[in-house]
Amino acid sequence: MNSIQFAQTLVNGIILGGVLSLVALGFSIVWGIMHVVNLAHGAFIVLGSYITYTLYTSLGIDPFLGLPLTMITLFVVGYATERWIIHWVIRAPLMAKFFITFGIGMLLENLILQVWKADVRSVTTPYSGASLAIGGVNIPLVKLAALALSILMVIVFHLFLTRTRQGNAIRSTGMDLDAARLTGVKVAPIYALTFGLSTMLAGAAGSLVSMTTSFTPDAGARYTVYAFLVSVLGGLGNVPAVLAGGMIIALIQVFVGFYAPALKDAVSFVLLVVLLLLRPQGLFGKPFTSGKAE
Amino acid sequence: MNTPLRLIGLTTIAAILAACGGAAAPAPTAAPAASTEKQPAQPAAASGACTISFGAAVSFTGSTAAEGKYTKDGYDIAKDKINEKGGIKVGDKMCKLDIKYYDDASSPDQTAQLVEKLITEDKVNFILGPYGSSSSDTAAAIVEKYKIPMIEANGAAESIFARGFKFTFAVLSPAGNYLRGILDLVKVKDPSAKKVAVVAETDKFALEVAAGAAKYAKEQGFEVVYNDKYPAKATDISSNLTVIKGLNPDVILGAGHIQDAILTIKQGKELGVNAKAWGFSVGPTAPEFRKSLGKDADYVLGAAQWTEELKLKGDANDPFSTPQDFAKAVRAKFPQGGYETTIPYQVAESAAAVFAFQRAIEKAGSLDAQKVRDAIAALDFDSFYGKVKFDERGINTFKPMAVQQNATDGGNYTVGPAESASKPFEYPAPAWGSRK
Repeated sequence: MNSIQFAQTLVNGIILGGVLSLVALGFSIVWGIMHVVNLAHGAFIVLGSYITYTLYTSLGIDPFLGLPLTMITLFVVGYATERWIIHWVIRAPLMAKFFITFGIGMLLENLILQVWKADVRSVTTPYSGASLAIGGVNIPLVKLAALALSILMVIVFHLFLTRTRQGNAIRSTGMDLDAARLTGVKVAPIYALTFGLSTMLAGAAGSLVSMTTSFTPDAGARYTVYAFLVSVLGGLGNVPAVLAGGMIIALIQVFVGFYAPALKDAVSFVLLVVLLLLRPQGLFGKPFTSGKAE
Repeated sequence: MNTPLRLIGLTTIAAILAACGGAAAPAPTAAPAASTEKQPAQPAAASGACTISFGAAVSFTGSTAAEGKYTKDGYDIAKDKINEKGGIKVGDKMCKLDIKYYDDASSPDQTAQLVEKLITEDKVNFILGPYGSSSSDTAAAIVEKYKIPMIEANGAAESIFARGFKFTFAVLSPAGNYLRGILDLVKVKDPSAKKVAVVAETDKFALEVAAGAAKYAKEQGFEVVYNDKYPAKATDISSNLTVIKGLNPDVILGAGHIQDAILTIKQGKELGVNAKAWGFSVGPTAPEFRKSLGKDADYVLGAAQWTEELKLKGDANDPFSTPQDFAKAVRAKFPQGGYETTIPYQVAESAAAVFAFQRAIEKAGSLDAQKVRDAIAALDFDSFYGKVKFDERGINTFKPMAVQQNATDGGNYTVGPAESASKPFEYPAPAWGSRK
């Protein structure tokens, strides 16, 4: 690997890390705070991709300009999903939540299939493949935007969760539900809000990946797996950890990919298993306590 | 909330989800067919004589849903054409055709289960193949077990035929031949183009295409500078492309599915990877390729089993006679099918499979599985799809591959083989930065 290839691979990794972090952010928040492993997360991302696609091809709205629209739509969908479906099992054991989010994912995927059909789609704007070329190294611009958005979202969410009243309320429900209730936090709307925010982020991720890859209704599963991988690696209950997790996975993928591309997924998963054996809470997560771990 | 209420709520949700999940799996069956037996079922069939039932497990959902639809359309148009003319002559009876479909969701394991179901429960006479080599592979094992002939039209991997099976036949050209046409065109157009990079998805079919392409390239005097793969259904192949970029290939050949072809072009453009010719085994000939990429699809070559522009002529018994006639019929039958600009070859080859069955059954004069199987093995005819003849393994090595190109004017033209080209081959593809 010469120095230009090294630089390009490094760029590829950081950029991919930005995309993976955005994909994983909502998933990690919901898991860390609501203790819900949202197996439908990938399906929400794909929904975001399809909405972006429709806005672009039918209404001519540029994906970046339409981003707020996609995000708001996904927020509403997520809020409603939590409030009227997931909330029924929110106090149930983890398995029940697994099943219900799995079912929601399947339902969503099939709804998407009904509405948009199975054709492979991709959003290609005139600037889709644009990249900044610096000395032999190409920096893809749309993915760079995903990285920027990822960092922005991490900062915004971190500030929101730590500095605002609502944010603190959300975090308190994740720390100790009963104590939160005692201090007057209304859990139902908080949970719905949290989930809505998570799907909103999924929508943003979907919007961006719609431009960089192609998608079909069932493309969500892969994203859920990556979200899982990044969240577990970074550690739950820690928003900036998602960025770290994303970057690390991405860098492993691209560097392994350079030498043995067929093995990159295998290596990522093996490393994850090793890490979990040594440090179950992930890199930056809070150590598990005996009381409330599920 | 109290427990009984929660229980009711959960049960309701579970029931709804199960219903939706269940509803998604089985595909729409062929329109008039509700019967799963060989006897006549519909009063509409005026002949009242007999029905030959075919079974097909095809991917209507999942990663190969698009190609699955083309396959079904091909089967249906052939079925309707045959039924229009009275059906298939079995001895002295005219029997209508009926096809029972199931959705295998692009999963080879499901294909095997569904083919077994078609044979054992639905008791179909014959099997029409699924889409894709992996699915055809699992289906082949099942039909061999039950000794039911299958003609498949969409599984080109030669490994399917390496097991000595007697009941599976493929009307299409084998995987190893896919990218030959592209290399032939480049060699003639630009003898100085020497460096070829081959990148493949980790998939049975794609790996065979890549191996066949690399072997053929070497035989033709090219230098294969790169020959590696990426995981199946990858969403990022920047690593492969970064390596390829450093090797400055003249030709980049990709083997995989349409999603991979789209991804390779998108990421190739992002990373500034340039080549004088880009060719893919699957993807560029389908309408969604152009729809997904817009102008970025320009110059991209695709291997095609068949195109509507080929100068082929079927023999006297061929229902469609020429590719152009077939294309017209497809457009008339499926006006909303997305076939306005291109007819993907999966439609043609799937129809060809049904017609091959027709000829075999008529030659055998019966529906006996072994007799029909032997008749299939002896087939040798020219059709709108090309020559249909099976080698001793059961695969059609007698039909050449065509090459299509996404042209700069937005159309999709047959540029190879040279004698059938409807438009000259646009070469070289300019660097990404200098296109407009």
